[in-house]
Amino acid sequence: MKKYYLLILISALLTTQVYAQARKVNKRNPTGTAAAKKSNPFLQKQFWLGFKAGTNLTQAKVQESYSVIVPPPNAIVDVKNYKNFNLTGSQVALEVTFYTKGFSISVQPTYFHSRFEYANRYEWMDANSPTNLLTLNYKQEQQTDYAELPLLVKYDIAGSVLRPFVQAGVYYAIQVNANKAVTVNGVDYASGGLNEFENDPILVGAEDLFAKNYWGISAGAGVNYNLGNVRLTLEGNYRMGMSLANSTENRYKNDRLAGVGDALDDIKLNNIVFSFGCLFPMRYLASGFKTLDR
Amino acid sequence: MKSIIRIFLPLTLLVSACLEKADLRLEEKSFFRIYDNADFNAAFTPIDIQQTSDEGYLVLAGKRLDDSNFTGIYLLKVDKTGQIVNEVDDFDTQYVNPVGPLLLINGAYHFVCMDTNLQLAQLVRLNANGDIDGSITPLGLTYPLAINTDGNNILLLSYDNEDKQMDITQLSATGSISAGPTGFSIGVGDETEEPIINHFIQGGRKFPFAIGRTSGGAIYYNGFYNYTFSLVFTSFGADDPAGVVYGQQDDGGFSAVMPVGAGQFAASRFNFGDNFLLPQINLTTNGITIGTELGGFTLPELAPNATVRLLHHTTDQQASIVFGSNTQARQIALLAYNEDDGSFTGSRYLGFANPFEIGNLIQTSDDGIAVCGITYLAGRFPRICIFKLSKQEVEELTK
Repeated sequence: MKKYYLLILISALLTTQVYAQARKVNKRNPTGTAAAKKSNPFLQKQFWLGFKAGTNLTQAKVQESYSVIVPPPNAIVDVKNYKNFNLTGSQVALEVTFYTKGFSISVQPTYFHSRFEYANRYEWMDANSPTNLLTLNYKQEQQTDYAELPLLVKYDIAGSVLRPFVQAGVYYAIQVNANKAVTVNGVDYASGGLNEFENDPILVGAEDLFAKNYWGISAGAGVNYNLGNVRLTLEGNYRMGMSLANSTENRYKNDRLAGVGDALDDIKLNNIVFSFGCLFPMRYLASGFKTLDR
Repeated sequence: MKSIIRIFLPLTLLVSACLEKADLRLEEKSFFRIYDNADFNAAFTPIDIQQTSDEGYLVLAGKRLDDSNFTGIYLLKVDKTGQIVNEVDDFDTQYVNPVGPLLLINGAYHFVCMDTNLQLAQLVRLNANGDIDGSITPLGLTYPLAINTDGNNILLLSYDNEDKQMDITQLSATGSISAGPTGFSIGVGDETEEPIINHFIQGGRKFPFAIGRTSGGAIYYNGFYNYTFSLVFTSFGADDPAGVVYGQQDDGGFSAVMPVGAGQFAASRFNFGDNFLLPQINLTTNGITIGTELGGFTLPELAPNATVRLLHHTTDQQASIVFGSNTQARQIALLAYNEDDGSFTGSRYLGFANPFEIGNLIQTSDDGIAVCGITYLAGRFPRICIFKLSKQEVEELTK
């Protein structure tokens, strides 16, 4: 899958470059002055190519909860306690953007690594002897890696050296890898005294537990800063998963996890994503020419 | 515009077809559940699972009794996704030591237990919800060991401690005796009886007692005969067995046996801790056979003298013999063999981290398999668990 993703990236790059350089430079007005740009529609367009990287935080939004361990009738159920936006993930992206008249359309193939966790708690007590008590706390951390194809539309709010923008779009994610770590600790009062313990974590590959593909929508804002012909970009986005990020069919198929009583809920993943990047103009890089913003 | 639609519409459909969608029906096809109990001292031992007409499951289990030498009775009804519908946790404690499997006769489920005072066998009739249907019927026989269906009747293997013999009896579904009892001596001496009595005591060693009828019409029982745990072929009213497959006193014998054709059986043996699987074996129902000469596949991964359950799994495409047993690694092993030629087709190991032990396994209405067992939550609390394997998962095992 990684190979295919790389091929797609290279193809996208080549296509962009070929198209970007397809039209000849207007020799009558090669300086790219503001007047020239205004009179020449060709100069009002630009391709940008660059890289972005950053960090993300994830929320698993439960659609339907599932559990291996069934409590007795009328028992108080201790549901999974999800912790939202508390673990940092990371992402790197290649950005290919076409700009015209304040609007940009951007394809940003991304390698997206996200993390989220939840906790379960179980307690058993001897009704005749309350000191006979065992408490177990399960901390379940999921790590997923997806290759993503976001398609975004940007609008530059103002045009100057510092150019704030807003953007929105969709993305499609293809699973590359997934792992899960379960840490169990507890307190055992039934051993004749207070016995606090922590077991070795259970680490398993969890590719089968997560969706092979999912999609979502994204919206955010950022700012571009033009440093000569190079554009630095800083942006923040909120992404909302629109389809399930877990596998509904393989929920119980990992015996190592099912054995300790875990089953993934039906979840959609939402993310807060921060990225910093560097973009380069791909059109009209003749000497003395400045990009659209000068 | 049309060309864009031509490209993007099929692409969108293709992409959306690959997405995961919430589907509660998947929970019916495949699930795994552990049924917890908040009681620190609760301990359950599943005996049998049956699928009910509403596609839910009824589980018969033993339950630890604090003030008794015997095992109490516990019933659990779950729906087709494994969620609890009914729990019978307050079965009268004068009735103990439930004997399975649950027998479906005339729309009702039957099992046998015994009373604590006289150790008399009692027939219990249940509805599909696990509640007692009618009264509990005393059968006039002591120490029930095994039951099976015989048409609309019930075959019962019991132990008569007065005459020191194994009794076989045919009962109607209402509990009246229609044939037998016919008894065969276990041999004289307290040491011969000791393993049988221990079988009834909570925590004592359990023997794989069984009873049934072969396709040829003979009654067989797996139990003690002539000082030895043996497979005995006989008929009602006979003075002596027609055939015996001898074990090794209480150290060897059959751990499971199931007739699959004329003179043909699927079986497993234990012998001084070793286990041998016999997916296809011809047994002589007339005459004497020494069990240790039967051979079989040795499976070192199985626990010593492992509990073995047999399932005849049949679909339109395939007939298989599935062995369910316990491994040294405390997992439940499912080992499948082709019924026609006895060749091995696949294995699946259920459970991890916490110990697991098999109770029983059945074929479900969707050609999947349901396995009930026991797992030790947190490594120490014995709780009932159910694995439901889908038809696709079973096909991976049997093809």
